[in-house]
Amino acid sequence: MNNVLVPLPVVLPLLAAGLRLALAQRLVRVQRGISVAVLAAVVVIAAVLVYQTDHYGPQTMHPGGWPAPIAVMLVVDRLAALILLISGVITLCVLIYAIGQGASDNDESTPLTIFHPSFLVLLAGVADAFMAGDLFNLYVAFEMLLTASYVLITLGGTPARVRAGMTYVVVGILSSVILLIGVALCYAATGTLTLAQLAVRLADLPPDVRLVLQLTLLVAFGIKAAVFPLSAWLPDSYPTTPAPITAVFAGLLTKVGVYAIIRVQTLLFPGEALTELLLVAAACTMLVGILGAVSQTDIKRTLSFTLVSHIGYMMFGIALASRAGIAGAIFYVAHHITVQTTLFLVAGLVERRGGSTSMDRLGGLARVSPLVAVLFFIPAMNLSGIPPLSGFLGKLWLLRAGVQEGTWPAYALVGVALLTSLLTLYTMCHLWNRAFWGDRGKLPERGQIIEGRRGLSGTGIVATAAPGTMVGTAAALIVFATAFTVAAGPMAGYIDRAATELLDRRAYLTAVLP
Amino acid sequence: MLLAVAAFFAAAVLAPTALRTLGLRAFWLVALVPAAVTLWALAVPVPHEQVVPWVPRLQVQLAFRMDTLALVMTLIVAGIGALILVYCGRYFTPGGPGLPAFAGEFTAFAGAMLGLVLADDLILLYVFWELTTVFSYLLIGYDAEDRTSRRAALTAIVVTAAGGLTMLGGLVLLGLRAGTFRISEILAAPPAGPAVSVALALILVGALSKSALVPFHFWLPGAMAAPTPVSAYLHAAAMVKAGVYLVARLAPAFAADPVWRPVVLVFGGATMLVGAWRALRKHDLKLLLAFGTVSQLGFLTALLGAGGRAAAQAGAYLLIAHAVFKAGLFMVVGIVDHATGTRDLRKLGGVGRSMPITCAAAVLLTASMAGVPPLAGFVGKEAAFAAFPSDPPVLAVLVAGSALTVAYSVRFVWGAFADKGIEPVAVHPPEAVLAGPVVLLAVVSLLLGPLAPVIDGWLAGYGMAYPAGAADEPLALWHGFTVPLLLSAVVLAVGVALFPARFFVARVQDRLHPPIDAERTFRLIMRGLDFAADQATRFTQRGSLPVYLRYILFALLVLPGAALMSGLPWPGAARIWYVPAEIVVAGLVCLAAFATTLQSWRMPAVLCAAVTGTGTATMFVLHGAPDLGLTQFLTETVTLVAFVLVLRRLPPRFVERQYVGIRRVNAALGVAAGLLVAAMGYVAINARTQAPISAAYPQAAREAGGANIVNIALVDLRAWDTMGESSVLLIAAAGVTGLIFVRRRPRLPRTVEAPGGTWSLPGLRSFGEPPEDAAATTWLRGSETLSPERRSIMFEVVARLIFHPMLVLSIYLLFSGHGTPGGGFAAGLVAGLALTVRYLAGDRYALAEAMPIGPGVCQGAGLGVMAVTGLAGLALTGSVLHETVLHWRVPVLGEIHLVTSLAFDIGVYLVVIGVVLDVLRAMGDELDRQVEEEGEEVITA
Repeated sequence: MNNVLVPLPVVLPLLAAGLRLALAQRLVRVQRGISVAVLAAVVVIAAVLVYQTDHYGPQTMHPGGWPAPIAVMLVVDRLAALILLISGVITLCVLIYAIGQGASDNDESTPLTIFHPSFLVLLAGVADAFMAGDLFNLYVAFEMLLTASYVLITLGGTPARVRAGMTYVVVGILSSVILLIGVALCYAATGTLTLAQLAVRLADLPPDVRLVLQLTLLVAFGIKAAVFPLSAWLPDSYPTTPAPITAVFAGLLTKVGVYAIIRVQTLLFPGEALTELLLVAAACTMLVGILGAVSQTDIKRTLSFTLVSHIGYMMFGIALASRAGIAGAIFYVAHHITVQTTLFLVAGLVERRGGSTSMDRLGGLARVSPLVAVLFFIPAMNLSGIPPLSGFLGKLWLLRAGVQEGTWPAYALVGVALLTSLLTLYTMCHLWNRAFWGDRGKLPERGQIIEGRRGLSGTGIVATAAPGTMVGTAAALIVFATAFTVAAGPMAGYIDRAATELLDRRAYLTAVLP
Repeated sequence: MLLAVAAFFAAAVLAPTALRTLGLRAFWLVALVPAAVTLWALAVPVPHEQVVPWVPRLQVQLAFRMDTLALVMTLIVAGIGALILVYCGRYFTPGGPGLPAFAGEFTAFAGAMLGLVLADDLILLYVFWELTTVFSYLLIGYDAEDRTSRRAALTAIVVTAAGGLTMLGGLVLLGLRAGTFRISEILAAPPAGPAVSVALALILVGALSKSALVPFHFWLPGAMAAPTPVSAYLHAAAMVKAGVYLVARLAPAFAADPVWRPVVLVFGGATMLVGAWRALRKHDLKLLLAFGTVSQLGFLTALLGAGGRAAAQAGAYLLIAHAVFKAGLFMVVGIVDHATGTRDLRKLGGVGRSMPITCAAAVLLTASMAGVPPLAGFVGKEAAFAAFPSDPPVLAVLVAGSALTVAYSVRFVWGAFADKGIEPVAVHPPEAVLAGPVVLLAVVSLLLGPLAPVIDGWLAGYGMAYPAGAADEPLALWHGFTVPLLLSAVVLAVGVALFPARFFVARVQDRLHPPIDAERTFRLIMRGLDFAADQATRFTQRGSLPVYLRYILFALLVLPGAALMSGLPWPGAARIWYVPAEIVVAGLVCLAAFATTLQSWRMPAVLCAAVTGTGTATMFVLHGAPDLGLTQFLTETVTLVAFVLVLRRLPPRFVERQYVGIRRVNAALGVAAGLLVAAMGYVAINARTQAPISAAYPQAAREAGGANIVNIALVDLRAWDTMGESSVLLIAAAGVTGLIFVRRRPRLPRTVEAPGGTWSLPGLRSFGEPPEDAAATTWLRGSETLSPERRSIMFEVVARLIFHPMLVLSIYLLFSGHGTPGGGFAAGLVAGLALTVRYLAGDRYALAEAMPIGPGVCQGAGLGVMAVTGLAGLALTGSVLHETVLHWRVPVLGEIHLVTSLAFDIGVYLVVIGVVLDVLRAMGDELDRQVEEEGEEVITA
């Protein structure tokens, strides 16, 4: 059964990217309109897919009309649809924010003409990763989003960005190579690339070979997801980029890795949860990440470390591999995409007004720009897991899963998760104390050009109140995150069904191999 | 009840605006909400429930329940909240910058507190619990420019959140054990067992930290940095009562638990003594009260947690009494502070005479605190003494604590209002609105005593949760001459006696140093945390790319490597080679790869790397895939050209920074990783039992109407992948271009005007004019712009001669791809190479001559064509990228058929040409320009 909506979240952004490249600097306004319209369309399509997957089971598409094992195929189940929807919303918001920032930077020059196509290809890659029903296509999707991210991270070409980009690109390429090796090994051992058929054929392999394949894929995806000890690259590369880019990276890219881990663990290796190994990795990720955050004095770096740390929460749920664990991890993914994106966008607002994201150079922002303060405080508390925000609900779900598991490692992880939560709160409040409270004398005057800081295209930043579009999109994202709390009942029900579907596998397998 | 809570939050949202428009009077407007809720609470029937579903999957409901205990707390929270808001309306100076936010936070805090006491769901309770923590953080830090208050706020939130999170663990454990998170259901059928004991211990940690009991007591005095209304409300009436409330809520079901009673009594009693003892030597009136509060909270916790009807009812009564007198006293301190500008009791003199009404009210409130008859405090204390007839140690602690309470009470009144023989401070008398709430609370304190029997009947609703005990006696002012009365007399006598001996007490206090200072311990922990964080981060976050790569390779070697080793010995059946030549080529590739790493000059390294690529291409050919081989060869060539172009701008040698030892480690890791991958490949191929899907490819290719499996796979079976990879290629090229041009990308296309005309465009050579007869003599249009010493006629001629044949070849490859080796990718590369030759022989102008279209247009059009083909398939057949044949009837030419897969291949073709063009423009053209600008010597190919 082909669902015509399935390929559109990939094809439409690619079409728009092609258009933008071809038109270059002509009809800039029309082009912007097209980009926004395409992303909005993706959101709508994803919403429809959420409904369809929930009511009619996994939705599929056979590109080229070929049957499953021989050709590539796309599958959207509940998990993919949900994450696609959330990714669509946040990329739409980030794009509007970036347009606002570019407009206020008075910046119509080259980097932005690259920014938009790259951004669109990034989204296409992300969407493709979620719906890939084929292991090699998953690799291609990663290539799309990674290559686009290589371009974005070096945008503007300032020395700091190129240096950070170097780390990012080389690690990214190594991870791609490992993934490609994993794909090749899977094909060598089973003679197929379709995930559903792999799921069937892997079961026939000797356990040690299967474990080799599983661990190779886990290492590859673990790098993308920034799981300790494969996470060190992240805090070194993310903070240098302009706010909207870091925002979308932080929100989405690591979560694509997490998504891939969930998919591979549940679909391909259902019998081997590797609970102990993953629990240790989860605990280390949480602790090392949050300790890193504690030791930082720059808002973006702090946020990058919390990003790593909270990947540990998702790994916790995945490691448990129970229904509650997987569901909790999915909820946390949804929450974390939104909240990290919001925080980085707000960090951009702070940088715009305060001229810096270094806590040493900030102070008294709560009095100077109360609106920015509110926009920071709510997601910061959300990240810290303060109820009733979504971070708390995700955390609660994972804690329940851990307690229900009832083993000592699981209890230990519950403890580590709580400690991490406390330290996150400490980090956020410490940040608030220094940047938002305190002496406002350190802030630059309005209209002052700030030395050494670079905007989206590498031009200097002027200390101003951010334009309405930037503030508005950040606020919209906060509203979106709040909707998680308000609609927590239906959402949790949906995610629970998604987790059940993942663990059961039958719906997925029959949808692909009838 | 949900509405009542929601009303608070709604008011909180509106309060800032109200304050901005109405000024301080807005506080009175806001006060209407708690006042209304107070009246509502008195009218609502008890018990009363309301349940709204929230997250059924997590067993979390918006369940509220009003019973006696909740009612007591609601009256405290809403009633005193209303009074304090009225007080706020005069306390603050108009126009303070943080006031609008303050009003919102304060009201929201009150709402959270109300929710906390009404919640009938463990998780919902926790929700409000943490909200009070967060809002109190904001309120304590009201004076944000002051370092002390910021620090105090941080300490408060860290301590209470640490307790709160511990409690969350306990709540989840308790709820899962009980099978329900509804508090009323858990209390009705309490679970038991070791897990429940653990859960209770965790929950008690939360309660103790929230109510500032030992060892968490230090945050509360620090929090006195907050404005006085905050202290009066949060730190006397509301927030600190949350822990006490939770203890009181759970005690009826769990007091018998082995963990519960010892914890509650030991920590409660210890807190009562420590708090009172430390209150005795504080000079700041507010701090004195803060330590007094700590002491009283210990007292309340012990009473309400001990279990037993008498203790519970005494505790509930004292809960009310304490909220009334302590909130009043804090407001008194605020008034004194306001009127005199100081809170230091060594500087205050003769204040009582200047504000007699406030002084009188304060004396009444203090008397209640000290337990002087006939005030509320006395009744409560009597009942408390009566509740522990058979527990002498507990009783002793309570008596000692009460005596100390009397002592600091006397000290408070004396300190705030007495003459003391020092010069009276200047006082401006307080306004009625400030004093009003205080007087009202004093009157309530006075009335509560005689009304004790009435209240007793009312509190029975809570006491009934316990079985009746022998010590039960109704609360009353007068029980006759009993042991408790005697104890009360002793307490008063000792307490008052301690006052004249205060200098002696002070000396004793100076001698006695506590063995463990909780606050210092906390600071040490936090400093240790910062230190550990720094060390851990320094260790893991080296900031060095090679280190990170080592981590990754190490993980690869350890994880799949170990799994691989566990499978030893590996079964071996797969053929390692088909033709012996493979071994030679493979060996060559390995050697070349190894040699690449050994080079210290860049150019040889690039060439060695090219050998690995060419070797791989040869392997493809040997395996019977000429198509892949062709593509790989072409790719290698283009890559090499790009490398060489870039190398012009790089130093010829690698910069060597690493030590030999590190290099050896790297080499070992690299070799090991290579061997691992090879071994994994060997094992994987040996594990295969099923026929690969590629076995079905020939059949599929026939169905698709082609003979070239590779091409069919690329443009049909796996066209979806191809589209993705094309976007990868294109965006990578765009990114590289972006990096090189940064912000100075010239206008495209940049064609050359008529020969002999205006050659000297910006960035062009700075020497020599072009020959006059350029057009007549040139082979390659555009090459005239080169300086004579860089021109090679031979090369120009060859370029001119092969350019068009190459283009024809590329077109041929493009169209023949379906059946024979070729296809859009290889064709695009050939066309790209043609352009490369043209560029190398001539210059950027030769390139512009040959290719008037910019790379962006080329790539964009290519990707667009692919996407449109996909959409066409979707629209026509319902399946994206489905091959369809489009028919057009053109008047002269007749019927035209277009197979969409060919259109798709044309898309690929365009993308590849665009990419090569981008490489030439960026790495060739632009670098030329930059090199020329910098006057460096250009090494052309």
